[in-house]
Amino acid sequence: MDVSSARSLTRRQIMQACLAIGTGLMLPGCGWTLAEVRPALSKGNKDELSIYTWESYIDPELTETFHTQTGINVTADIYDSNETMLATFQSGKGAIYSVIYPSDYKVAEMIERKLLSVLDHSRINGIDNLMPEFQDSVYDPGNQHSMPISWGTTGLIYNTEALNPGPEDWEDLWRMQAKLNRKMTLLADFREVMGATLKSLGFSYNSTNPSEVRQAYQKLVQLKPAITTFTTDAWRDRLLAGDLILAMAYSADAVRLIQENPDANLRYVIPASGTSLWSDAMVIPVTSPNPDAAYEWINFMMQPSVAVEVTRRLFFATPNQAAYDQLPLPLRNNRSLFPPEAVIQACERIIPLEPKETEMYEQYWTKLTSG
Amino acid sequence: MTLPIATRTEAQAPPAWLQPVLMLAPAAVWLALLLVIPTGLIFQLSLVPGIRPGQVVNPSGLDNYIRILQPDYFPVLTRSLFFALGTTIACLILGFPVAYWIAIKVPKRWQNLVLLSFVLPLWTSSLLRSYAWITILRPTGVLNTLLGKVGIPALDILNREPAVLIGMTYSLLPYMVLILYASLEKLDRRLLEAAADLGATPRQAFWRVTVPQSLTGIAAGALLVFITSMGDFINPEILGGASSMTVARLIYNQFLGATQNWGFGSALSMVLILVVSLAIALLLKYGDRNAAGGV
Repeated sequence: MDVSSARSLTRRQIMQACLAIGTGLMLPGCGWTLAEVRPALSKGNKDELSIYTWESYIDPELTETFHTQTGINVTADIYDSNETMLATFQSGKGAIYSVIYPSDYKVAEMIERKLLSVLDHSRINGIDNLMPEFQDSVYDPGNQHSMPISWGTTGLIYNTEALNPGPEDWEDLWRMQAKLNRKMTLLADFREVMGATLKSLGFSYNSTNPSEVRQAYQKLVQLKPAITTFTTDAWRDRLLAGDLILAMAYSADAVRLIQENPDANLRYVIPASGTSLWSDAMVIPVTSPNPDAAYEWINFMMQPSVAVEVTRRLFFATPNQAAYDQLPLPLRNNRSLFPPEAVIQACERIIPLEPKETEMYEQYWTKLTSG
Repeated sequence: MTLPIATRTEAQAPPAWLQPVLMLAPAAVWLALLLVIPTGLIFQLSLVPGIRPGQVVNPSGLDNYIRILQPDYFPVLTRSLFFALGTTIACLILGFPVAYWIAIKVPKRWQNLVLLSFVLPLWTSSLLRSYAWITILRPTGVLNTLLGKVGIPALDILNREPAVLIGMTYSLLPYMVLILYASLEKLDRRLLEAAADLGATPRQAFWRVTVPQSLTGIAAGALLVFITSMGDFINPEILGGASSMTVARLIYNQFLGATQNWGFGSALSMVLILVVSLAIALLLKYGDRNAAGGV
């Protein structure tokens, strides 16, 4: 009895001490910065380059060619959405990367958060080779922090046998709803899905007008019974197998699938009333452990011959005029990959929204996907 | 000369009450660093409305928790509960006969092998298992091809609730079987013989003798499956359809999605932690501790 009471007293004291230490750790914690990116403690090996990129933007052939040219070993990590990239980057893993490939609106956001270094244009060869519309950009004036590497559109890929005539505009999704019943997917990205619906209503892809966004939500609710699911890449096999007859997709993914399966009766269409125009760019984060190698990589990717190879092999549209001129004719005339000027004019870039506006979109999205 | 020796012996033998404390210290540090402090940080973040990465953490109130109470999020929570409860019931119905068979009918020397074969699917990635179910369940997939051969009309269940329940049940069934096995293995068979001697039918003996004896195991298994399926993110994401938002996916959207609202995500996490902690508290109070510890 005696012993146990003495012990429980001490235990309580220890608990109190632990609690005190715990709160002591918590209190100075107030006012800390969430997910602050700090530079790596040790400078990277100058023969090593870590890049963080999209799955379809890199393959062993590319890194081997780079290694033969420069002697630098490349390790690449892959992400599947800009948001995952930024979250991973900020969670503390960011310090190992010297080159990243964010999309347009993410470049703007990363500049605003002061994560990107200003590029020294005198160290980059072939900037003049970029197409005129890529010499400057709305998301990064004067390309000060980023070099465009690829661009494309968001559109619809469909089976021409199952849907004849096929859709030409967003509005056709609602018109063909009976036929598309549970045989279509939309992207798992609320900006793209809401944007396309806004466009079908005649509003801007980037509308922040609450009444317009609400109308778009209501219109999507009507379409919902026909939607199998929202997915960014789980539609490929099922489209080929015939389980799906239509998917909302990025042009690069769609064109690649069509080129790799010429007998599958697939077609990619850019909706007539306009869609989102996206581009991905190479950036060097301020925390880069090896900026010299990063410049080498950017110069390598800007070489027209490399850009040609990459476009032929990985099917993404190059913004490099010199490379475009050297492309084989069928690729150059591929209207899905390189849409005519008039189509581009109707398109909009997705611009970052204020947190309050993003929250409005997200609430409608949660309602849509849980209703 | 004597003085240093005396101090040394003193240093060698700490007071009796301190010894267990010293031995537990590494585990305590581990728990503090990896559980207590992170949970504290999540709680702190949950008190900051709309915080995004790169902003200064300044706790200011319960706005995030008030937002969870909005009617928009009610269906999300009920769907999570529906999936978790459905999975628990399905695992119990499917798992009990299997565990019973292994514990009672299978010869002792084969038991471990049979159990191992049941746990074997856990060795593959859960992502891979979900994708495998797509191949099986999709409209022109394996299941419908087989059904077509025997003349049964095709089932369109992929990207619907049944597909999610199938995927989750498949993932969690081995846990249920393991726990029920641990509980049934200790079953006192003499009681079954006694029941038979006293005129009970096998069915009566099962309900009056076997089930009451394994009740603690059933509780442990059910709670463990319930807790795990509450947090399951992969199956609803991959096998679910256009209406498959769950709490776990909502949390994911707040951290890795476009919203980037870590404050709201943290508040949702705290609610999930609370629900799961309640379940664990129930497990510790009523569950079979040995069975739960066996996993």
